[in-house]
Amino acid sequence: MKRLKKHLSLALLFSLVSVAAAVRVAAADKDPQSVQVTIGTILVSNQSDEFDAKLKGMEKQLRVLKYRSYRLLKDESQNVPWRGNKSFEIPGGRSLTVAPQEFQNNRIALKVRLTERNKPLLDTTVTVPNKGNFLYLGGPPHEGGTLVLSISAAVQ
Amino acid sequence: MALSDSELVQKCQAGEMTAFQELASRYHQKVYMVILGLLRNREDALEVSQETFFRAFRKIGGFQGGSSFYTWIYRIAVNLAIDAQRRQKRNPLEFRESMDGLLESQDEVARDPFVDVHDRELRENLIKAINDLTPEHKAVIVLRTIEGLSYKDIGEILGCSEGTVMSRLHYARKKLHDKLSAFL
Amino acid sequence: MNECERIQESIGPWLDGELNSAECERVRTHVGSCPACLAAQQKIEKIDLALRSDLVAQAAKLEFAPFWRALERRISEPRPWYQEWRDRLVSAPRSAWAVPALIALLLAVWSFDSYFPGWRGGVAARSGFAAVDSIDAHGRSVALWRENETKTTVIWLYEEQEGEHETAEEAPKSGPAF
Repeated sequence: MKRLKKHLSLALLFSLVSVAAAVRVAAADKDPQSVQVTIGTILVSNQSDEFDAKLKGMEKQLRVLKYRSYRLLKDESQNVPWRGNKSFEIPGGRSLTVAPQEFQNNRIALKVRLTERNKPLLDTTVTVPNKGNFLYLGGPPHEGGTLVLSISAAVQ
Repeated sequence: MALSDSELVQKCQAGEMTAFQELASRYHQKVYMVILGLLRNREDALEVSQETFFRAFRKIGGFQGGSSFYTWIYRIAVNLAIDAQRRQKRNPLEFRESMDGLLESQDEVARDPFVDVHDRELRENLIKAINDLTPEHKAVIVLRTIEGLSYKDIGEILGCSEGTVMSRLHYARKKLHDKLSAFL
Repeated sequence: MNECERIQESIGPWLDGELNSAECERVRTHVGSCPACLAAQQKIEKIDLALRSDLVAQAAKLEFAPFWRALERRISEPRPWYQEWRDRLVSAPRSAWAVPALIALLLAVWSFDSYFPGWRGGVAARSGFAAVDSIDAHGRSVALWRENETKTTVIWLYEEQEGEHETAEEAPKSGPAF
């Protein structure tokens, strides 16, 4: 009986410590308060040969599109609550609405809607790595070129 | 019918102090003898013997019967004795006191008229020669000579292989032989 | 090394009973006929006897009753709580550590994600790509591609033109030039 008590008291002590630590870790990982979404609005075209220095960090990815000219028009970040949504103004009467859905395996699921004059152009559900690579959404024409939107997210 | 060591250990683990007392009664002299062989001082040997059984009492809950009780308790005793020897070497004054203790015991022996003078000289020089061995060599010679333990048991107690026990014993005996050749 | 030197190395283990029967026989036969080796055997026995007799005599004087009284007094002394806990931890059987070890292992696996994000999950997760789960282009043409080297995911929305079908992936005029 004494031996059993010794087993139990030791197990209980370490269980309490472990569970406390587990709760702390779980809280840190599973319930982020909001997501910081960053949308970059880039104008791409073949009218000139320029590469905006502000886009240096994503040059390799953008060059995939094989345009000659890349210019950053706007870079905006907003904290978007889980299950909530926020809209980003895009040139040409357009708007990009982003709604974070889920955070799992260090990836963020987002619902994204692109509208033009309140008409939906595109609805998509994507998952992006937390603080990781961008997703690019391109196609809407603008001022002789084409708009490319870079989308990235980071849990807060 | 007397209980076996493992039965007594189980009773100790269940909280029966009388079982531990029985184990102590069985092994206190053997443990004391080994420690005395290593330390060569009665007071120190007594203190370390007490400490051995005290620690055994505290740790008996964790004793799982992987080895026999006596190898387990000898292991505690030898480790404590080796630590005490190292402290002795750092404090030579204590060592001189231990030599006084030895001489006292030798006086007792000398009073025995049947003790051969030659044997007395052998014993005195034997004690000095053993004290010159390292703690590890002293331990193997004491455990083998006093307790007649097998190399396997000695290896378990000292945490080394049977081959190491054999080579340490060979070295220790050779050293003693070289130092005591005039008396043998 | 000559035969006597080899045998004298084995005399100790022979006297200790640690040799096998063939080796025992070899040593016994040689010692029986070699005065030098016989003398070596006798010296070992003499040393052992001298050591043993001295210590046995000393140990015989140790009475158990006072020894036990002193030990019992020491065992009964109250100890600080931290020493009690330390002894419990140190002397706890290994099985007592099984539950906390299991909990620690589960905790380590559970929190692994925090330190090594994307270690599990699908190819996209492991590779760091953004993944597209669904697209509705509301009647427009849309293209989706991934470029492996730069891990780039692109959704391209084509301009609405008359007579164009939703599923067509033909190279459009307004699209990127690759």
